[in-house]
Amino acid sequence: MNSSVALPARRISDLLSSGLEARAKSKRYAMDQPRTDPDQELVKRTQAGDAGAFDELVIKYTPRLYGLVYNMTSNHEDTNDLLQDIFAKAYKAIRGFRGKSSFYTWIHSIAVNMSLNFLKKRGRRFQLSLDDVDASIQNDKEFLELTATSSPVREADLSELQRRLNEAMMKLSDEHRAVVTMFHIQGMPHAEISKILRVSEGTVRSRLFYANRQLQNYLDEFRKNPVS
Amino acid sequence: MDEFNDSEIARLLRLKRYEQPPPGYFENFLHEFHRRQRDELLRQPLWRICLERAHTFMLQLNVRSLTSYPAAVTAVLVCGAVISLKIYQQPETPRVALQSPPAISVPASAEGEWNLASPVATQILRTQPVRSFHESAQTHRAAPPRYVLDSVPVSYEPTFRF
Repeated sequence: MNSSVALPARRISDLLSSGLEARAKSKRYAMDQPRTDPDQELVKRTQAGDAGAFDELVIKYTPRLYGLVYNMTSNHEDTNDLLQDIFAKAYKAIRGFRGKSSFYTWIHSIAVNMSLNFLKKRGRRFQLSLDDVDASIQNDKEFLELTATSSPVREADLSELQRRLNEAMMKLSDEHRAVVTMFHIQGMPHAEISKILRVSEGTVRSRLFYANRQLQNYLDEFRKNPVS
Repeated sequence: MDEFNDSEIARLLRLKRYEQPPPGYFENFLHEFHRRQRDELLRQPLWRICLERAHTFMLQLNVRSLTSYPAAVTAVLVCGAVISLKIYQQPETPRVALQSPPAISVPASAEGEWNLASPVATQILRTQPVRSFHESAQTHRAAPPRYVLDSVPVSYEPTFRF
């Protein structure tokens, strides 16, 4: 009787362990498999001297990189100049790109590093030069929820909200602002940010935590006095 | 509500996605990029432009082996140049003859004897030891063979003939 009871239990444990092993194996396999870079073909063509292929990469990444640089600088003209420099640098350096990371990670690393260097040179002397808020925000579900639940957002007009947000962002350090931009605004996962910044995921999370606390403090004034 | 919580801050920040550049900016960006690239190119010296054009041309021809081994090509060219210089700078070798052993024909019987054939009694004195070429080579291995221009013996000329 005992053996008849013990046998299924062992089988269950065997099945469980084999299942866990299979999951671990599949996870290892997935990690071992090189992820294909969707931009690989365009990168190869560019490396072979096809300028048209690089144009396609520029068209593809301009809106995304614009958002990254703009939210780090809060200045449209600076963003435009920086973006031109970023693509020029990428074009010069693409022959040395060996594909160890994806092109996405590589171009974002160039953009973040160049933006951080620019911000160090620029220092504190700058003026906000903000883009217009797209009218489609009025239909955004989150915006509607915020205006319904949050009194400061409801009371302030859109441009005031934009100015306050950008001012609060610019009070953060450059490194914290980069993490906040990539995570909250661009929606990148922690792992991708850590690859781009070449820091650990823990560092990314701690920077994010600290930046959120600071933003809470900076926006507290806005909460108390939504219309200045 | 005392202060914005994390999720509210996240939602507020996500609204920044609606901040967009002027209409047509992204469409014109590529043209602006090309224009700036051309301007930068024109500011470069001519040799650099030519070099880049040549490099691009080679890449388009898929002559990767030539471009990926520039060091090897340079090394071969340098070696060729050095060898050709060595060949042209080598001095023209003068016509020389290996000095034969001194041809002093002394009769064996005459050694050390007085010759009474001439009116004045003279003795033929040998100034150099008569040795064969092979003996000399054996005794002075380290010394290189001696050469005399135009086959004229210089140092072995029997000068002390009285």
